[in-house]
Amino acid sequence: MKEPIISFKDFGFKYKAQKNPTLYDINLDIYPGEKILILGASGSGKSTLCNCINGLIPFSYDGTITGSCTVNGAETKKSSIFKLSGSVGTVLQDSDAQFVGLSVGEDIAFALENEMMPRKDMIPVIDRNASMVGMQDFIGHVPFNLSGGQKQKVAIAGVFGNDVEILIFDEPLAALDPQMGMTAVDLIDNISRESGKTIIIVEHRLEDVLYRPVDRVILMAEGRIVADMKPDDLLRSTLLSECGIREPLYITAMKYAGCSLEGNRNLCDLSSLELSAENREKLRTFFTEERESIRENNNDPVVSFKDVSFSYEGGKKVLSDVSFDIKRGERIAIIGRNGAGKSTAAKLLCGIIRPDSGTIELDGRDISSLSVKEIGEKVGYVMQDPNQMIVKDIIKDEVGMALDIRGRSEEEKTEIVNNALRTCGLYKMRNWPVDSISYGQKKRVTVASMMALEPDVFILDEPTAGQDFRSYTDIMNFVNTLNREYGKTILFITHDMHLAIENTDRAIVFSDGKLIASDRVFSVLSDKTS
Amino acid sequence: MNNRLVINYTPGPTMLHRLTGFTKVFLFIAMTVAIIATYDIRILIPLFLINLAEMISMKPNYKPIVIMFAITFVTVTLLGNVMLFLVSPDVGFNNIGVTNMLWQGSGRLYLTKEFLWYCLVIFVKRTASFASVMAFALATTPSEFASGLNKVGLPYKVCTIVSLAYRTIPDIANDFINIRNSMMMRGVELSKKASLWKRLKNTVLILVPLIFTAFGKVGNIANAMDLRGYGKHRKRTWYAEHETSKWDTIIRILAVILLAAAVYYIIRYRIIDPWPARIWCPWADPNEIVSVNQIDTVFFMKWFKK
Repeated sequence: MKEPIISFKDFGFKYKAQKNPTLYDINLDIYPGEKILILGASGSGKSTLCNCINGLIPFSYDGTITGSCTVNGAETKKSSIFKLSGSVGTVLQDSDAQFVGLSVGEDIAFALENEMMPRKDMIPVIDRNASMVGMQDFIGHVPFNLSGGQKQKVAIAGVFGNDVEILIFDEPLAALDPQMGMTAVDLIDNISRESGKTIIIVEHRLEDVLYRPVDRVILMAEGRIVADMKPDDLLRSTLLSECGIREPLYITAMKYAGCSLEGNRNLCDLSSLELSAENREKLRTFFTEERESIRENNNDPVVSFKDVSFSYEGGKKVLSDVSFDIKRGERIAIIGRNGAGKSTAAKLLCGIIRPDSGTIELDGRDISSLSVKEIGEKVGYVMQDPNQMIVKDIIKDEVGMALDIRGRSEEEKTEIVNNALRTCGLYKMRNWPVDSISYGQKKRVTVASMMALEPDVFILDEPTAGQDFRSYTDIMNFVNTLNREYGKTILFITHDMHLAIENTDRAIVFSDGKLIASDRVFSVLSDKTS
Repeated sequence: MNNRLVINYTPGPTMLHRLTGFTKVFLFIAMTVAIIATYDIRILIPLFLINLAEMISMKPNYKPIVIMFAITFVTVTLLGNVMLFLVSPDVGFNNIGVTNMLWQGSGRLYLTKEFLWYCLVIFVKRTASFASVMAFALATTPSEFASGLNKVGLPYKVCTIVSLAYRTIPDIANDFINIRNSMMMRGVELSKKASLWKRLKNTVLILVPLIFTAFGKVGNIANAMDLRGYGKHRKRTWYAEHETSKWDTIIRILAVILLAAAVYYIIRYRIIDPWPARIWCPWADPNEIVSVNQIDTVFFMKWFKK
């Protein structure tokens, strides 16, 4: 039997600032060359577990450790973060913050510089690492012009500089669109196979990680390991939904069709999945069944773009001749790759930027004569990060801010604010300070503060990015209520195809500044040409 | 990006751009010492011309430079000189040692030839230092700046602060724009429709989320640096500090000569055989100069003198 490279024995950890431990009774052995997925909802302790391996715990975060954790045979609490950084490389979730260099080459060199490697020895290492992640043509590029996926590749090349044996990926998919996510999973898989390094992936997006095989899945919930098994076995169990993890969509489909999950081999990989004869029959009938017809929306258009073109100063066209209508009460997904023009379209609708040609109408009225403030009373734009929107300390003040500015009377304000808070399920918390609530609740606060102006249209920019399944469900249920019960038109700007399929009526797809599709999400996704 | 700010994030193509960080920092220090050392316009003008030539050789975007120059220098100098004229019209005499009256108003209101000469010298001196800062800023990427400072002898942790600051400027600018847009949609008036005072107050409103967003990132950056072994050793090497070329050698030699000349100038003309007044002036006869102790000219000294 091989020696484990990482070994936890009766391990526990409590942050200094917290009452209860974050990790309990961790017993886990990881062997050299294994590829492990640590799965769990937010707050399950999965990131804390990783920080115990790379030395951020206990060297950057104070707290109490019980039991033992050894990496390469050495007890971590007796080692140092520098010693550990020589054998453990960590790619953090925030691909932007971990880019500390001012160019790709410099960022990859960062670890080498700290090792005092002379520059002439660095260059071949940087070239090798950059080409391993496919960034060899970008060595002189600055971080501001790179996409999230490219920054992450650089981060991977950067931790490789140390020639580490263990690589930890902390939520590598959080900020990536589906295609970049697939590339990232592929890249991690290649590294695993070619270099034989031990790989630990921390994620809550199970389906995306399973795009390439993993050896074992460690499922965590509430600070404990609840399962340590092969992915196939995990998918057959009921543990996923109990722990707030979204199961892969095809598994859900099979369950709907009434398939039994026993006896199917390669359950974790859709392309090599072997279905039993019985299941195959069931699925076929499931797919050919009559579908309930989609309710036709015959309302007037609330937003319409007519031959809209836009380009930034001196740049090439970001949008060219875009026309579409959005009807009252529709839920629309605006999708497309980064830079395809979807956020530009949203900014145009908000009046932050104005079209070079063409007209945009809100409720049949041309918005070119309206100020941003006036448009803001009809269109509520909710930014991705609620922290970027909240300016007041107390929830009800935040929600009432827009009314204060407009000089409404105190009674009128209180009534509107209370209504908005009730709609958003925040009424009981109205006097709470904003920093005491969760991310999902902050999101509600930002929506509520838009609500106060009673707009018809909400634009939600990546409302669920980086959220686990529970928080995701929570946010989406809330948004759907707004749509169903208050008749609000909702526009999602998103990369998340799950969101688009489950929660929208129609998708508007941008590519290179052109509108390439505007149809039901299923039809768009099954259209191979796009 | 390169055009909008004077900061360059990627090295440019010209000879000066291609120098190493150390050479640039060293040249800048030598230039600064030389400009500080002297009030002699015969030296300041060539120094200014050298820096101007450096700037032109890098083919910069002149618009931001001209705007900056106009705001910081022309306005400040004009305003400053008018104030100086009202408060201490004898500043020319104090620094030059002779007086040639041009215009006599009532009481302390008078204009001397020396006052104008003094203003000219100070203007040339400031313009020369402006040109040298610009030439340095145009030539140097932030990473070269950081590595150069480290090579000159500053502790590397200080130098990293410099490069990290530059790293985050564009991100913070982006956040600022995003937050401002969302505020505008909620009705916070930031356009010219609102009064200046209101706009200022509303801009402060943006700073709250901006600061919190920025602080949120600090922890992540620190972790990312720790995890890659930052601070492990007492020294570190710099990828940005590339190999020297023959131009580096030439410029370094020139910088050493400049520095030596500046030091020699200070010793020769300020200590051993000083010009009787602080500022050289073409029409002042050294034998007629009345030497004024600079300390006596400070306005509050008269109360101590009694």
